This record gives sequence, C-alpha cells and structure tokens, in this order.
Amino acid sequence: MSPRCSARRAPWISFSLDVADGELVCLLGPSGSGKSTLLRMVGGFEQPSSGLITIDGQEITHLLPEKRPTGMVFQSHALWTHMNVFKNLAFGLKLRRLPADEIKRRVEGVLELVGLGGYGTRSVTQLSGGQQQRVALARSLVLEPKILLLDEPFASLDQHLRERLREEVRDIQQRLKITTLFVTHGQDEALSMADRVVVMRDGKIEQADRPDVVYREPRTPFVAGFIGTMNLLEGSVSNGVFNRAGFSFPLPVADGPAILAIRPEALDLTAVTENGRAKVHRVTDYGTHGLVDLELPDATRLKASVAHPDLFTTGQSVALTPRAVAAYRDHALIHRS
Amino acid sequence: MTAVTSGPIVAAPATCKRPIGLLLVAIPVLMVIWLVIWPIISAVITTLWVKTPEGSAFSIETYRFFFSDGYSLSNLSMTLWTTGVCAILLLIVCLPIALYLRFSTSRVSAYVQGLAIFPMFVPSIILSFAFIRVLGPNGTVDLLLNAVNLPKIRTPYLTPRGPVIGPVWDNIPLTVLILLSGLGAVSNQSIEAARDVGAGRFAVLWHIILPRISNSILVAISFAVLGIFSAFTLPYVLGPAAPEMMGPFMQRTFHELFEPRTAITCAVVTFGFCIVFGLFYVRSVAKNRTT
Repeated sequence: MSPRCSARRAPWISFSLDVADGELVCLLGPSGSGKSTLLRMVGGFEQPSSGLITIDGQEITHLLPEKRPTGMVFQSHALWTHMNVFKNLAFGLKLRRLPADEIKRRVEGVLELVGLGGYGTRSVTQLSGGQQQRVALARSLVLEPKILLLDEPFASLDQHLRERLREEVRDIQQRLKITTLFVTHGQDEALSMADRVVVMRDGKIEQADRPDVVYREPRTPFVAGFIGTMNLLEGSVSNGVFNRAGFSFPLPVADGPAILAIRPEALDLTAVTENGRAKVHRVTDYGTHGLVDLELPDATRLKASVAHPDLFTTGQSVALTPRAVAAYRDHALIHRS
Repeated sequence: MTAVTSGPIVAAPATCKRPIGLLLVAIPVLMVIWLVIWPIISAVITTLWVKTPEGSAFSIETYRFFFSDGYSLSNLSMTLWTTGVCAILLLIVCLPIALYLRFSTSRVSAYVQGLAIFPMFVPSIILSFAFIRVLGPNGTVDLLLNAVNLPKIRTPYLTPRGPVIGPVWDNIPLTVLILLSGLGAVSNQSIEAARDVGAGRFAVLWHIILPRISNSILVAISFAVLGIFSAFTLPYVLGPAAPEMMGPFMQRTFHELFEPRTAITCAVVTFGFCIVFGLFYVRSVAKNRTT
C-alpha cells in the first residue's frame, strides 16, 4: 500500500508498505503518529487522497468497508450488546446468506478456537474484558478475512491479561496463517508478537524491520529512543573523539555534532575512588538485575543495567565503558560498533 | 507527629445519609400526591359514587353512557386516530433528523439542530394562528398559488386532518432530543464493526441502531402520545367542531353544557389511555436502571 492521506485525522500520512502473506506486522509509534489512521484506511473507514491499497493484487482503495476482505478488531471491543455471543458472530455470516447449519458450524468452530466453546448463548455484557476481546477477535475470524486488522485490541486490559491474550492471538494467527496488521503503542507487544515492526512517526515510516533488528540496530535516533530504554547523548566529535560534559569516547567519524546511543545493558560501570566520569544517583534492584541511574557532571542522566546492584551505592564515583554504541547525525545512522 | 490508631476501619453505614435524600424528594412527592394523585382518585370516586336521596351509591352509569354514546365514541376514536397518526409521523420525521444530527460531522448539523429545537420556544396559540395564516383560507400558500394562477388548496383546518400538523411540529424538539440521547449510546465503533462484517447502511440501521435505541423510541412515543392525547390548544384552534378531540370535548362539556360529571368521566377515560403509555415510560426507565 502507498496511501497519502488528506483526512482531517492525519493529513501528513505518506508512505509505502508491502505485507507478505501470513505476516504479522506491528505498526508502532507514539500517539498521533498516524498508525490507527493507516489501519482505518486499510479497513475502509478513512479515505486516502492519493495512492493505492491493494490486497492480493486487487485494488481496494475506494471500496466501502463492507465490501473489503478485511476484518477489524477494535480497541473498545465494539460488541453489539443487544445480541448474545452467537448472534454477534453469526451476524456477518447471515448477511452473506449462508445456510443456518453452516453458520452454526463456523461460529462454534471459531468459538472453540478462541477458547470460548459453549459461550454462544451468553450475553456479551456478562463476559469479562478478556472474554469480550476474544469474542471481538472471533467475530472477525469467523468471516475468514484476507487481512486481520487489530487496533490496539489489548489497550483496555490489565497487564497480566494483555500478556496472556497476545500469546493466544499470536498462536491463532500462526495456526491460521492469516496476514495481520497490528496497531499498538506498546513496544513489548510489538517486539514479542510481530514478524516485522514498523516504527511510525508523524505519518512516516522511521524503520521497518524484524523486532530484533529494530531493537539492536535502530536506524534513526527517534527509533533508538522510542524502542526500549536508550541513553541518548548529544555532543560533538572532534578528531575522532566524541565529547559530552567530560565524557569522551572514540568515534571514527567526521568532526561535527553527533548523538551517541548506548543501551543500559551495553554500558559497563567500574567503581573508582576519585575522578569518576559519573556519580551514582540511584540504584534500583529488580531481583534479576539492577538499574543504576547515573549523573554526568552537567547533570545529564544515564542508565546502566548491572548484574550486581549491591556493588553500587548512591553518590559513588564510577567510570563508564560503553561496549556497543550507535552514533547519529542529521537523523541518520553514521556509525555502529 | 502523626498518630495512627490501630484496629479495623469501619465504613459509616449508608443509612446515615438516607434521611437527607428522603427529605429532598419528600416535597416534590407530596406535591405530586396533592396535585396529581389525589385529583385522579377524587375524579374516579366522583364518577363512580353517585349521590342519591338515600345517600351515596356505586354506579357505572356515566361510563356506560360514555361508551354507548355515538358522539363521545367518535370523539374518542378521532383522538386515538390523531394521536396514532401524529406518533407515526413524528417517528418518520424525527428519526432521520436525529440520525443526521448524531452521525453528521458537517457544520450544517448545528443549524439543523437549532431549527429542530426551535418549535420548543413557540407557544401553542401563536403556532396555531401561524399555521392558519400559512395553510388556512387566503393564507400564504393560497396567495402564492394565486400569484402563479394555480387553484387554492383545500384548507386542512376544521377537518379531522387539521390538528395533525400542529402537534407533530410542536413535538419535534422533544422527540428529536430523546432519540438523540438514545443514539448517543450507540458508539461509532459498534457501527464500524457492523460495516466491517458486511452490513450496508440499511442493515446497520435495522440490526444495530434501531434495536439499541428501541427504549428511546418507546420513551419518545410515550411522551408524544401523552402530550397529544390530552392536548387542548392546538386541537381547539385547528380541529373540527365535531367530532372533536378529548381536550376540547372535556372543556366544552364542562363550560358550555355544564355537565361536570360527564367532563370528569371524559378525563378519567383519557387518563386510562394515557396511563398505558405512562407505564411504558416507567417500564423503560426501570429497565434502563437495571441494565
């Protein structure tokens, strides 16, 4: 697809994206980045001003939502409360004038698939949030759409339920091999579920890659700062050395301004008695590991992940040794080590 | 220093606040009993207990007369016909307006809403004469038709169709507002979900919107019927002399024929029909509270 949007919601959207058969692509970005608008364009609820949206080679850009081979799961479930679970699922099939026994077979089959076998006669208002979201998913799946569109489906659920449901959705998606576009602003959701993560900003793609690549090799400082925890240091390079507030690091790039990105787990700390590059501001012990908040002489804050947090105390001087860094200039990657 | 006392914290019983709530509703409840409930009971007693030389005696003679008198029955049937036609027309007129106002995102909808609410601020008597001046003999419509050499229209006033347009116009604001509040509960996403599974506009209206606002439709119709069935000004000014709607019939029986007992009987019969729709309304409110 290559839509350009002039809709009021996001007049700045403009990009191209190809999604392979059976692929689960997560659209990830901050609020207002245009990811939901993009999904709604694919579903037919927003119209692009130019560009094409095609599914299996068939152009659907100007088709009405009811004519598209897509199935959408909404953030608020959007179940019809005057119908029970069975009727919610059967509604779309009845509109397609399928025989009653075929409708019954398909609805019961998909209810089993989402773990709600025997719930057909229940009112949707009697279900928990997680069960309601499963019904919403089943309602889309029962129509066997070519593309499943998920618009932040777990946003209204608690953390525990969200983790369980995303595993279930991933399992179902892989079992059915259904092409899926998933909108989220949760990085953990995107990184744990997606075959490919598309990081969006202001309606444009910042990076589209496998989750591990997006995490380890962010192409822009925005992606570096948006995915996971990242220390971003703005400074300048002079004679192959990056400098910022007494912190220096060899950086074999041309002289000029640069942003240095270091993951907390790639920043080694060594306790020193004096003249340390940074001071420990706070130490947080998470049980499995610790997170040390550091302060540079100009009050810049950094984070370092350590295996033994008990070795560090507040106010202690430490020397910093980055093991892996990425450097950016003019929003582009200029160095990685 | 902060002192913390040990021991479980017990919530104050809810009953402590009850007397204040009961006192707040006591005055309106007493007013309703005094001004509504008691007159109803008094009217029923007045019509059923007749004073005879031997004392009071139970009699349904006045009701027997009402339901055997051709003129009374034709008035009742005309009132039922007018109310039914008005209710249907109100629904046909107001539902599209409410749907437009709910789902339109254009600026025009604000003006349409203003126009739809406008009749609420026009007194019935002014409205009646305005209708006569527009649709009545030698009214605006006649003048316009005459200007282009077309024949005059047959005025609907003083015919059974006369009182229909007035109550419909008069009840548009309330009906639109009630339907609009019902449509407010229909989320955009539930409609988009229906379209997503293949429902066209009519299927969305029939299977998703109407079932969700059925309660509001019932309330709107109940309100309209209650108002129209017992209306006085509009049927009095715009309606025919005979048969007439129950409002003018009651007034004429009381003031011109000096038959207060017959007029009260008409009022009790009118109340009997209205309470059916009143109960529909109460049931809808109760249903809303429990869901």
